[in-house]
Amino acid sequence: MKRLFQKIPRLLLVVLGLAVFGLLRAPVEDDLRERLVAANLLLPPPAQGAFDQMSQSALMGTLGGLRSLVATYLTLNAFEHFSTKSWDALRANYLIITNLEPRDESHWVSVIWHLGINATANMEIDTRLPAFERERRFKEYAFQAIDFAERGIGQLPESVAIRLQVAEVYREKLKDDCATARVYGEIVGLPGAPGYARRFYGYFMARCPGREQEAYDYLTALYREGEPQRLPTLIKEIKNLEGKLAIPSPRRIPDGDPDRRPQKASKNPANTLPGGIVVP
Amino acid sequence: MSEPAVEVKNLTKVFSLGLKKEYVVAVDNLSFEVRAGEVYGLIGPNGSGKSTTMKVVLGLMAASKGSAKVFGLDSGDIRARNEIGFLPENPYFYKHLSGAETLRFYGKLCGMKGAALKDRIGELLKLVDLEGAANRRLSGYSKGMLQRIGLAQSLIQNPRLVILDEPTAGVDPVGSRQIRDLIMRLREEGYTVFLCSHLLEQVQEVCDRVGIIFKGRMRREGTLDELIEIENQTSMTIENATPELIAEIHELVRSKEGARIVEEGHSRTSLEHLFIQIAERSREEKS
Amino acid sequence: MSDTPNAPGESAPRPTPRGAGKAVPIFSFGRVTTIAASTVTQLVRMKTFYFLLAFALVVVAVGNFNIPATPAKELSMIKKVAFGTMDIFAWLFAIVATALLIPKDVEDRTLYTILSKPVRRIEYLLGKLGGVLSVIAISLVAMYAICALMIFSRESLYLSAEYDSMKASAQYTEGEIQEQLSLIRQQGLRAELGIAVLASFFKASVVAAVTIFLSTFASSSLFTIIVSILLFLIGHAHHMASSFWLDESGNSVFVQMLVKVIKILIPNYQLFSFSEGIVQGEAVVSALVWQMGGLTAGYLVVFLLLSLLVFVDKEF
Repeated sequence: MKRLFQKIPRLLLVVLGLAVFGLLRAPVEDDLRERLVAANLLLPPPAQGAFDQMSQSALMGTLGGLRSLVATYLTLNAFEHFSTKSWDALRANYLIITNLEPRDESHWVSVIWHLGINATANMEIDTRLPAFERERRFKEYAFQAIDFAERGIGQLPESVAIRLQVAEVYREKLKDDCATARVYGEIVGLPGAPGYARRFYGYFMARCPGREQEAYDYLTALYREGEPQRLPTLIKEIKNLEGKLAIPSPRRIPDGDPDRRPQKASKNPANTLPGGIVVP
Repeated sequence: MSEPAVEVKNLTKVFSLGLKKEYVVAVDNLSFEVRAGEVYGLIGPNGSGKSTTMKVVLGLMAASKGSAKVFGLDSGDIRARNEIGFLPENPYFYKHLSGAETLRFYGKLCGMKGAALKDRIGELLKLVDLEGAANRRLSGYSKGMLQRIGLAQSLIQNPRLVILDEPTAGVDPVGSRQIRDLIMRLREEGYTVFLCSHLLEQVQEVCDRVGIIFKGRMRREGTLDELIEIENQTSMTIENATPELIAEIHELVRSKEGARIVEEGHSRTSLEHLFIQIAERSREEKS
Repeated sequence: MSDTPNAPGESAPRPTPRGAGKAVPIFSFGRVTTIAASTVTQLVRMKTFYFLLAFALVVVAVGNFNIPATPAKELSMIKKVAFGTMDIFAWLFAIVATALLIPKDVEDRTLYTILSKPVRRIEYLLGKLGGVLSVIAISLVAMYAICALMIFSRESLYLSAEYDSMKASAQYTEGEIQEQLSLIRQQGLRAELGIAVLASFFKASVVAAVTIFLSTFASSSLFTIIVSILLFLIGHAHHMASSFWLDESGNSVFVQMLVKVIKILIPNYQLFSFSEGIVQGEAVVSALVWQMGGLTAGYLVVFLLLSLLVFVDKEF
């Protein structure tokens, strides 16, 4: 046995050993990998496009298993771009960041906020550019934000935060009530949805042409849930819809229009200060 | 008769040189024995195959042909290394360790521990006169100190055989004398010493038997007397001889057929002896 | 001590040769730990632990970045930088320290004196590897302690600030406040972060084992370091390379064979990056951690055996 061992070239034995070990561990590693990815402990590989945009050092870091570190560095770098209003560079950073850490919700929320709210606000007030160019870029940044939101929701289907942020973009910047309503509608059914999401769904549905009846049915159902939902805005919206849909009086809600309600008597009369001090 | 400490039989070691299929025969059919309890010197010029032979005996290399045994055990057998203490030519030890830590490290490698190891370390540091430097890192040791700590580590596990590769190379005459005296003391205590050297004068003083190796082959082997005695010549050293006495001796030699005076003159001490005398005198004057 | 040589023809009486020494055990854990302890001492006295100072500075710097982010986001950033830095240190140190060990011993001839003692070559290899892994483990524990201190102090600060602020605004119920605070706690100090450190240690162990294997036949330390780093990068690209070159039917058979061969021969380092998921707050599945531990042990055993295959009759 010893003579055989000495005769066979050592290199051959080593390669054979490596190969046998490789063949034995391959199925074990493939199975482990699937289970680690399923448990979200291992990140899926970055999309092809991400590599094209990375600098060499970021690439080395990524290949070296330091995706989180590279993503963190790029996040800090993105903040620098935010400070200098370099929106295109910021977007390029976040393309890589969201590829490196697709399951980190905060990256998606941040980029939607930066592009959809900050960049668009900048375009509203930056007078260095001609009006046409500002308007063009305004829309570009808003739609880039929406694109990020769609990709983010693809990675994190149950994310409330991403949807809330993109709803703000639709609501405040694009003034798209139908899209806003659609997004709030998605939020309503998700775990961790804020309480006001149901009301907001109704409100924006009410402003979406063609959905008034649906909105009225939805909001009145909320109204019937009781006092916690009977906020002035809800009552106001129902009143508006009652007028638009010509709802007969017996079916209308008993509350008056909050804008026309008599003011509640203040506990203290107008000439009385707190503590019962009467001003002559 | 006890088995030999080292038994080398028909040892051949061939080194191949890269992919060119050239090779070098470092040791060629070498055979010799080191008897238990003796001091044996393997001498030869640089590149003669001494170090290669030593490495085969230590198990650091395998023979291409032939065999090497240590107290009957094959030199590749790990049990053989338990019998051996080795001092390499330029003893490099871990520079980050102190003298005592070095001895402790090698002692533990030999399976020693506890009080036995501690006592042995103290004993050896005293033997090699390094007690004062025990806690200093080896990076601060001189060449002679490194040689002495090397000798100490070679004795840590009380081996039967001590192999010394060029033990006095690069060491000053005083240190060299101390090492030679130590070798004599080892012999007196029953150690077998196998040393390699190219410093012939120094080997001459300590070895019982010597093997002369050249280009990988043993050329001559035997006791010093057998090797260097000029049989048909006799030396005498006479103190306080008068000119008349010298003339008489000349006359006597002339009267005998075949005999003649080959050389005549005043005896000379060696430069080494002079150096040592001066150093010792200076030390006495200081104290 | 006499300084005159013996007169010719005279020889001292031959003393009695000494008796035989004790037997040598087949394997000695004591020798392994002796070599490991010496390796630890060597690496420590090379001032490797000074890196911990640099690490502490990095963690403190990240903890004091002034960017507009939620407390949860800031804590997440501190963790990512700290654990990422720990990971880099662990595998880089594993490569550099291991690559230097054996060649340095050969160059300094320290190896001659070690192997001339009754030390088996597997004990030597195990001792060297054990020493490097001990230093990595100690360093990771120390770095984790520094990181945990920073995270804990920041978390406490954010929790109390957030509580006071929400309470003062009088707009939130206690339940809403606690819900908000739990978001911060989720990114704060959790016991599972210790598993993330363990993951880095697993990765560094495999890297060290592969590096020691390379150093047994490499011509120089520099070669070992460069090849180890290359293997490390390639080992992270297994899955990407497979999905790109194997799943695409348009690629040549030669390319596909090459990718398969690389996948078999080179360790899959990417698996050991599961610390990133833990740091991001994902729950730890203990069965998976045990299995990763088993895989790590498998790599260590195999690469040590391969190292022994090369080293066992290497001549010096």
